[in-house]
Amino acid sequence: MKLVGIVGSNAAFSYNRLLLNFIAKNFKKLIDVEVLDIKDVPMFNQSDDQTNSEVIQNLNKKITEADGVIIATPEYNHSIPSALQSVLEWLSFKIHPLDGKPVMIVGASYDVQGSSRSQLHLRQILDAPGVNAVVMPGNEFLLGEVYEAFDENEDLKDAQTVQFLETCIKKFIRFINVVNVLQSPEGMKDLSDTEDLYATGAIDTTVEGIDMSADDWLEQAAEATQAVEGNTYVKLNRGLLTVNQLNYFLNSMPAELTYADSNNQFLYYNHHMEKEDMLAGRRPEQVGSPLAECHPERVFSGVSWVIQQLRSGKQDVVRTQVPTHGPDKFVVHSYQAVRDDNGNYLGINEYVQDIQPVIDWYLEQTGQQLTGGGVDAVSGATSKVDTVSGATAKA
Amino acid sequence: MKNFISILGTNSDHSTNRLLLQFIQKHFKDQANIEIFEIKDLPAFNKPEDRKAPHGVQELADKIREADGVIISSPEYNHSVPAALKSTLEWLSYTNQALIDKPVMLTGASYGKLGSSRAQSHLRQMLDAPELKARIMPSSEFLIGYSLQAFDDNGNLTDQRKIEALKRIFNDFVHFVDITNQLVNAKESQQKQAPSYSWEAK
Repeated sequence: MKLVGIVGSNAAFSYNRLLLNFIAKNFKKLIDVEVLDIKDVPMFNQSDDQTNSEVIQNLNKKITEADGVIIATPEYNHSIPSALQSVLEWLSFKIHPLDGKPVMIVGASYDVQGSSRSQLHLRQILDAPGVNAVVMPGNEFLLGEVYEAFDENEDLKDAQTVQFLETCIKKFIRFINVVNVLQSPEGMKDLSDTEDLYATGAIDTTVEGIDMSADDWLEQAAEATQAVEGNTYVKLNRGLLTVNQLNYFLNSMPAELTYADSNNQFLYYNHHMEKEDMLAGRRPEQVGSPLAECHPERVFSGVSWVIQQLRSGKQDVVRTQVPTHGPDKFVVHSYQAVRDDNGNYLGINEYVQDIQPVIDWYLEQTGQQLTGGGVDAVSGATSKVDTVSGATAKA
Repeated sequence: MKNFISILGTNSDHSTNRLLLQFIQKHFKDQANIEIFEIKDLPAFNKPEDRKAPHGVQELADKIREADGVIISSPEYNHSVPAALKSTLEWLSYTNQALIDKPVMLTGASYGKLGSSRAQSHLRQMLDAPELKARIMPSSEFLIGYSLQAFDDNGNLTDQRKIEALKRIFNDFVHFVDITNQLVNAKESQQKQAPSYSWEAK
């Protein structure tokens, strides 16, 4: 998850900069934070529009591309610094990169207040219609008497403070996911048009001249391409297998595997079970079909959203739990981007697993038990269930 | 006859708050000499280590010290005051603290209906901070909404009720200045306290 941290002060030395650097360093397993300074941003003046200056355009670009923004503000005169105010004025004048962007507020100050009053002002400012950010409620992180807060490595000294900060960060990750859901297909926007689900285009590997919807697309396409099968050897990176070995090998995977290419054509699944025995049923004659024919129309927007996430590189994998299999199973659909050596998007590897046996085995082996509420589910992607649960057979 | 300094709370070339201050200057010229101070050429506050006020800020501070009272007129940006006004107040609080105990009256004009109400509320909270410690006249909100339509070609407010309200508030302010300056004891204690307040003090 890519975040931008904005230092709310233009002073040469700022504890709020230390705080953001600490967040970036200490929570790098959870979030990827780029800390941005505002000291080169000119004073806002509506009579002297500098929206197109490099420094403001850079902020605009970084914020637009980020999943969320953390603003660290000191307190000057019971409010936020004019330098931060000026930035927010530029970012609400001709451009509005914070519109709809999830924002978390933190702050450090010399006195005991820990920027409490400036944080309240900042909330009101971010809520103004020209800014229109989506600020995370609650989870107020105030760092008072900040001159005593950091050790010589610029780490926060107090373990409880770090613990609380981690709680706030984890909540923010979930908050971002929730905001994304609000703005994703479940919300008002219909994203069906963003993907060519009918696979009307063609890529280098598309087998042309054959009806994608035909029940025997595989047989026809194999003939057209003179595809090898059976005991013919195929050279792989790194190994040599026959096509049969390759099939048995893929069938032995502890998951139902499906491959759809970047043209949104369903090309393969590891077929060794009947549809009704599968967690996500597929039929042999579906192979070759455009994704539009594998899904009911009501989920087109959701399917497009998932593909967009992977295609754009915003996410490498989108997961969703499908709860309709009863309490004994925990079925997860993972939509994993397939990319070439240069990172180009090639398609989707959808793998469907029941991970309950893995969890049970782990608990048995380690003698541990699950305690209710103790598991902090950071991903929060469960909220996307409805969008993608239909990614199976239409029948 | 009182001597007031008024601060225009924006750096914009076009401002109905400038019109408002010019109107106040003209309308009350028998009661007070009012100078309008422009903040647009002041540098942006950046918390310099030497704590020195730049020339323009020092000039403003001197004028504030000499004046009997201060009038600030602010537009509203993003539910708050413009960064330019905020920067001016930061300079004053960080360097010479010229606003300590100075009687202050607030006015504001905005293009929309609400007339800068939220900016004024932020401004009051800021002026109340220990590093500024201005004496803001309480219960005296003066707001001009739809300010683009509020003045005639000669720069006069067209709404007679608004002029009456402004008169009452201005008269109150003249008294408020006298009363505030009589609060000697409290004033002395604050003068001892405030300069010792530092932005970095433990």
